[in-house]
Amino acid sequence: MRLYVALALGGLPLGAMYALQALGIVVIYKTSRVFTFATGAVGMLAAYVASWLSITQHVPIVIAVLAATLTGVGVGIVMESLTIRPVRGSVNRTVVTLGWLIALQGLVGMLFGNTTGRPAAKVFSSDTLFTVDSLHLAYGVDQALVLVLAVGLTLGLAGFFRYSSLGTAMRAVADDPEAAGLLGMPVRRVTLTAWGLGCGLSALSGVLVTPLLSSLDTLTLVVFTIQALAAALIGRLRSLPLTVVGGLGLGMVQPVVRHALDPWSLSGTNELVALVVVLIALVARRRTGRSDTGSGGLVPATGVPTPAPHLLAAGLGTVLVLGLVLGLVGSTTFHIDLALVAIWSLAVLSIVLLTGVVGQVSVCQGVFMGVGGFGAAIAVDHGVPFLLALLLGGALAAAAAALVGLPALRLEPLELAIATLSLAFAADTFLYKWTPLVSDSRGRQIERPAFAGIDGTHQPAGQRAYFWLVLVLLVLACIAVASLRRGRTGAALTALRSSESATAAMGFSVVSAKLRGFAMAGFLAGLAGACYAGLNQIATGNAFDTTRSISLLAYAVVAGVGSIPGAVLGGVIVTLSTLSFGDSSEVASGFSASAISTVTGMVLIAVLRFAPDGLAGVSGRAIRWRPARAATPALAEVS
Amino acid sequence: MAAVLELRDIGVRFGSFDAVDGVSLSVHAGEVVGLIGPNGAGKTVTFNVVSGLQKPTRGTVLLDGRDVTGVPTASRTRLGLARTFQVVQLFAGMTVLENVMVAGHRFTRSGTLSDSLWLPSRGRALREARERALGCLSYVGLAHLVDVDAGSLPVGQARLVELARALCLKPRVLLLDEPASGLDPGETGELVTLLGRIRADLGCAMLLVEHDMGVVMPLCDHVVVMNFGQVLGAGSPAEIRDDADVLEAYLGAVAE
Repeated sequence: MRLYVALALGGLPLGAMYALQALGIVVIYKTSRVFTFATGAVGMLAAYVASWLSITQHVPIVIAVLAATLTGVGVGIVMESLTIRPVRGSVNRTVVTLGWLIALQGLVGMLFGNTTGRPAAKVFSSDTLFTVDSLHLAYGVDQALVLVLAVGLTLGLAGFFRYSSLGTAMRAVADDPEAAGLLGMPVRRVTLTAWGLGCGLSALSGVLVTPLLSSLDTLTLVVFTIQALAAALIGRLRSLPLTVVGGLGLGMVQPVVRHALDPWSLSGTNELVALVVVLIALVARRRTGRSDTGSGGLVPATGVPTPAPHLLAAGLGTVLVLGLVLGLVGSTTFHIDLALVAIWSLAVLSIVLLTGVVGQVSVCQGVFMGVGGFGAAIAVDHGVPFLLALLLGGALAAAAAALVGLPALRLEPLELAIATLSLAFAADTFLYKWTPLVSDSRGRQIERPAFAGIDGTHQPAGQRAYFWLVLVLLVLACIAVASLRRGRTGAALTALRSSESATAAMGFSVVSAKLRGFAMAGFLAGLAGACYAGLNQIATGNAFDTTRSISLLAYAVVAGVGSIPGAVLGGVIVTLSTLSFGDSSEVASGFSASAISTVTGMVLIAVLRFAPDGLAGVSGRAIRWRPARAATPALAEVS
Repeated sequence: MAAVLELRDIGVRFGSFDAVDGVSLSVHAGEVVGLIGPNGAGKTVTFNVVSGLQKPTRGTVLLDGRDVTGVPTASRTRLGLARTFQVVQLFAGMTVLENVMVAGHRFTRSGTLSDSLWLPSRGRALREARERALGCLSYVGLAHLVDVDAGSLPVGQARLVELARALCLKPRVLLLDEPASGLDPGETGELVTLLGRIRADLGCAMLLVEHDMGVVMPLCDHVVVMNFGQVLGAGSPAEIRDDADVLEAYLGAVAE
């Protein structure tokens, strides 16, 4: 018991940092109803800036901390004014912050190098302040000060919101920006202040937390986002004091859980705890009745048009013939690249199905790919024939997706994005480090047999046959999605997006329709993951990590999340991005991976800003494969 | 004659406000029952309790004598309940035919797997739903609009699409929530004729929430008057009209 108390108290300072970052999320959400996923990345950027200034440039620590915090404030202001304000709909805005997450992560990697172990700026002395002998607990000056600072800032902020005129304006703007504007509130300035304040808090928490961690790297602090999300959700995205209690509580519970699970030598238990908290908080969250969906762009209100059957057949026929010809002429490396195009197209297709048809935003398709990849590898280990193993991988991912979909049924799109991002983070630190699944730190080997009587997987012919196999799978998947979309299930799914109550009144179970959409999308992602593992003959966690999930979503959005041709276009873009810089998962060279990440993030932001329909949307409007329809007036909910 | 739909002592409480307080009514097979009352009387809430969109705080809903209070909307539809909405809820981005086909699928069988794998059952389901939907659309006189985008229809035609959608479900009880609101007198007259024809042809019972006495009087066999969440009176349309002392205020307030 005494041990647990000591563990819990020892976790308090870290909890205070979770709280500080969560405050940033809450302050921003309170005023602009946008969920910021970029807080962890802002904190990480600030920590690097502080470290660079104070250690490399020998700037006094006070100035370094101040500069780092102001950097955060600046990022917040730029983010809001240039990339959030012009974008419509809170889901799209939230996805913009995902773009910032990977862009900042990449940028820091490019500027400061991706290497771990960069020393953190020492803000406070780490001398022991006091010890509690009976608990074997020692508190450093830094730990104690961090704790005091977090609580002090919260009280100050809470007072600010309640008593200052700007704070009151912020609450009014949060409640109804249009009404507040009509009353003469400076809505622009208020939101801008909130973003500056929120990102400043995240920056400060990033600077302060790094001395408590072993070293500074581009991942750890970004993964902190999940802790901040959990704390913010405990505060129900409104209450500052509750948020701090949530952060501190999380900090106290995690070391206890970690210790309790010690015998199994699991890693990533902190994230697992946070994930559980996030899921419980989301599902238990009281619905306000006000839906934050926001239509247009990413989640079009009406669902996606499907190309007419003859056009689809013509398109897929062309792809097949082109693939056949290219497979005959090119070199082995070329065949591998082509196989990658087909695989990434499959992955993007799963997002097209989920977002374009089911109308949900998932930030964890990478996890389903991982389930498929590792599942197929394990199946092959157990003697399942390779082709069957690929399908089995897909089926496992479908089951996983249905499992994720179950709580998702209660969630609004924005909340689902939170849940799935948390899942992706937890997969990075827990699932992909779990030995029974991943075998060893390099990954799980997967044996690929000869195809079509052609021997030798490393021989040119072997790669060519594999490319053809994946191509056929892709074409079949495209047909399946189009067929589903235009069939009975698709009718129900499309109807759901306009009115769930009217769909239910037609005799369709809303729960079952959504779940089936989730499972189908999971299957496609899992199949893609299995094919990817098969191509490389190894399944690795890196290939399916959070950055992958986000960039898949990013490229799906870039290519146009609404259409099947968009999926193939997305596959081409993903492959091009990995080719021009080197694949992040294979080439561990930090700079190129960082560059991909930066570019992906920036492109995602730019597309949401300037062409929310994506490239396929732009070209689709030009070709008009299906007559454009008049805009539909918004249909009100049930009277 | 047994009641095909029966409400027993239904209460719906929002916080400390009783939106519906002890409402009982029954609809017999083939009977048309009107539910009238001023705005805020609790008609639509009662209606939503019947169709399953609103959980009652107390009371039971019986369909053919079977307790369906806890049964979700979709399953009630399969038990023979169909409804239209006060604010038209057509599916956006779909044509008129596609809208009605969603209802047409109520009697078809094709799962996710057969839909994605293009199995024969998928095509069969589509053909059946299409046939059924076309039949219902021509019944309500919209056969010429099948390929029009549902979102572009004026409210009169949109209400007819909703009606076709409901008919497509082969209802034994048809729930109509203010079917005449937003219609001009000419359209209202056509609607009354159409509803009379539906009743004669299909023999389904109807529960009708309506403000327009021009719809209620000729159609209904029985009228229930609600105010402040309670049943104020019930009787034949003539009785209700003559019961001036009690009801003048309400009919006066609602007659438009």
